[in-house]
Amino acid sequence: MSVIETRGLSRTFESRVRPRGFAASLKSLVKPERRVVNAVRGIDLEVERGEVLAFLGPNGAGKSTTIKMLTGILHPSGGTARVLGLDPARDRMKLAMGIGTVFGQKSQLWYHLPASDSFRLLGAVYELDDATLARRTAELVERFALAPYLETPVRKLSLGERVRCEIAASLLHKPEILFLDEPTIGLDVVAKREVRVLLDELRREDGVTIFLTSHDIGDIEKVCKRAVIIHHGTVVVDESMKELKHRALRRKRVGVKWAGPADSSLPGLEPIKRTEDAAKYDVDTTKHRLEDVISALAARGELVDLTVEDEPLEDIIAAIFASRSEEEAHVAAGARL
Amino acid sequence: MRFASTFRFLGRAFAVNVKAVLEYRVNFFLQVFGMMLNNAAFAVFWKVLIDRTGGVGGYGFTDIMFVWAVSSTSFGLAHVVAGNIRSISRMVREGELDVYLLQPRDVWLNVVCSRTVVSAWGDFAYGFIVLALMPGVGLGRWLVFLAIIPAAALVFAAAFSAAETLAFWLGDSQGISGALQEFLLSFSLYPETIFEPGMRWIFYTLVPSAFVAYVPLAAWRSLDWGAVGVVWAAALAWLIITRALFRAGLKRYESGNKMGARI
Ligand SMILES: Nc1ncnc2c1ncn2[C@@H]1O[C@H](COP(=O)(O)OP(=O)(O)O)[C@@H](O)[C@H]1O
Ligand SMILES: [Mg+2]
Repeated sequence: MSVIETRGLSRTFESRVRPRGFAASLKSLVKPERRVVNAVRGIDLEVERGEVLAFLGPNGAGKSTTIKMLTGILHPSGGTARVLGLDPARDRMKLAMGIGTVFGQKSQLWYHLPASDSFRLLGAVYELDDATLARRTAELVERFALAPYLETPVRKLSLGERVRCEIAASLLHKPEILFLDEPTIGLDVVAKREVRVLLDELRREDGVTIFLTSHDIGDIEKVCKRAVIIHHGTVVVDESMKELKHRALRRKRVGVKWAGPADSSLPGLEPIKRTEDAAKYDVDTTKHRLEDVISALAARGELVDLTVEDEPLEDIIAAIFASRSEEEAHVAAGARL
Repeated sequence: MRFASTFRFLGRAFAVNVKAVLEYRVNFFLQVFGMMLNNAAFAVFWKVLIDRTGGVGGYGFTDIMFVWAVSSTSFGLAHVVAGNIRSISRMVREGELDVYLLQPRDVWLNVVCSRTVVSAWGDFAYGFIVLALMPGVGLGRWLVFLAIIPAAALVFAAAFSAAETLAFWLGDSQGISGALQEFLLSFSLYPETIFEPGMRWIFYTLVPSAFVAYVPLAAWRSLDWGAVGVVWAAALAWLIITRALFRAGLKRYESGNKMGARI
């Protein structure tokens, strides 16, 4: 059964363009110039119960706007959405009981108070009686290892600790779907992994449906089974994480810095950027083993820095578009014969 | 059931608000006493004025003091319980309603009741002190006062909220609600009779000074419980209008991506 279903879901924003200069200001008083942003244009999506979906896209692709329409924050300007069988804009309150939401950039915890106070308030918000609230809090504190932070004002927590409290807070009422909008934004590698592990546990043990956005594939590839990539407000890829990884994540960007000048050319692999003591490579891992590349680089001189990054999402999308238009060209050419 | 649950929620919210401001205890007490001192200074001013002139527009000193007590305590109560009534415009503009829209609660109630304004505690206490110090206030008068306070507070809360809610259409309406506060408070402090009869209708509609000052005074002078009922009726009317306005505005809410925390 699908718990999320959208048809042609769209949202536009109208913003007034700031006039430049005196004459333009006068003109804008009479007839303000407006700019229309099509943030989300016609998204069709179906998510089954228990699925873990990565909703990916570069900044400004429309991820947050989509989540806000699915959770009842924004009214769509076109199309329809059903979440748990409800229309989010019309049945907001009812829906709120069944979903949990975490925005990496917006906190639902009281900044000056310990998380335990926010939990108690949320208990009343979600109509949990005191016994249930105490039991749920104890469970989440245990699972998220929150005991050391629970009584510390949120403002004094590290970002990683805070995000864990945020996720725990969103689960107090046992939601069926958990929406997370860039939950790992700004986290260091260790904290990111902690969030990943927690989400994976939620999926396995509680069967919670997870809808997670990110602008970074590598971040969540291990948690999510399905990947939807959106770009300029439309879905460009909807496939299993495995397929996407096979297709996209085989390229890594390796950056290196040596203690002194070093020879940066490797057999069969030219750097895309180089200086005397540093270089950057695009490594196709189906052609070169990452391990080999790194040991070859280490052999060229003393390493002071080494980074391995996934290809930026924009580049992956561009590659997907390129391969598609190539395919289409083939199909078109084939049709002509 | 739903009613009881709403009260439990509002009670918890209030407790959390108080705890949050008491995190900075010294600041809390400084602001509260500062506000009371400020109000007391005005009382002295009026006392001097009325002793010299023998009354303004038919008001004696105790009338003035009662009007002060009612408007100050109800204004205070509105900001103590619903401290965000003057923040709606900013919250709309900066996309801060998201958190409230995600919760299974009435959004307006949830938004306005999620803060308490510290200095308003001083305003709230002020009316009680004035009445306690005033000679010859019997039980009947106290009851009238107590019955009017929540209704007048609702009038303040609903009127300020309505002005702030215009931000959904105008983008920013802090100027309007600021002006409303200025008019509402300054009209409340003077007798209705010093204003032109042609403009008095305003006090019963757009700038509802009548319901936080003139009608309460009538109720107090002659222990008129009908007048108390009028204040309650006005409060409910304002509440209905404000909530309809807010609900219409929410459809236009655009959220936004600004970072935010609940402070
Ligand atoms: N409240 C708003 N007003 C105007 N434009 C907006 C608003 N919210 C989002 N947008 C625009 O819509 C587009 C999609 O934004 P968003 O959904 O936040 O993207 P993402 O979350 O994928 O980074 C962007 O171009 C953004 O500038
Ligand atoms: Mg976003």
